[in-house]
Amino acid sequence: MLVLTRRANQSIMIGADVVVTVLEVRGDQVRIGIDAPRSISVHREEVFRELEAANREAASTASGALEGLTALRPPPDRRQKDR
Amino acid sequence: MTEEELPELHFASGLPGFPDVHRFVLVRLGDEASPFSVLRSLEEGADVEFVVTHPGLFFPDYEPEIDDDTAGRLELESADDALLLVIVTVADPVADSTANLLGPIVVNRHTRTAAQAVLGSSGYATREALVPTT
Repeated sequence: MLVLTRRANQSIMIGADVVVTVLEVRGDQVRIGIDAPRSISVHREEVFRELEAANREAASTASGALEGLTALRPPPDRRQKDR
Repeated sequence: MTEEELPELHFASGLPGFPDVHRFVLVRLGDEASPFSVLRSLEEGADVEFVVTHPGLFFPDYEPEIDDDTAGRLELESADDALLLVIVTVADPVADSTANLLGPIVVNRHTRTAAQAVLGSSGYATREALVPTT
């Protein structure tokens, strides 16, 4: 892993068009600003990892389990709930 | 209607956990009244499928805010351009099945491009009960 030391308001460039800026350091928290093209998605790692795990679990459903599912319907109280 | 005749969805970035799976087809699961469909990969060698549903049926109050980046990438101009689906994790018994409201699938109805959005600070979870527990 590349390790760089930066101060508040200093930045790091990743490639030609991703800029990561340290905005503020306070105690054990760091606020970071990220400028990146739209084609690059930026997420908090733990949120992304959670989504990966959820997708893998959802994709591994045995097809046998699907049989009962088609009978499952939205509960009427939810369907007609007022907005 | 065979699968081949159904419109293909294209996930330019794949899905988290499946970055290399781009081409999917949406097939209804069960009869016409079924609220569920299967999102099935068309990629060779990638035998991936997800059960999906329309979130409005089970979660009428669900109103995710799609981030500008996702909307931009899918070239969505208004909310009407978007078809929203959520991935279901099927459990045994099926009444314990959950839906992933943290990462809804957003489809541009016109271009058939799609992506899984990540609602970072929404408070939604990846496992919300489809049927309320009593």
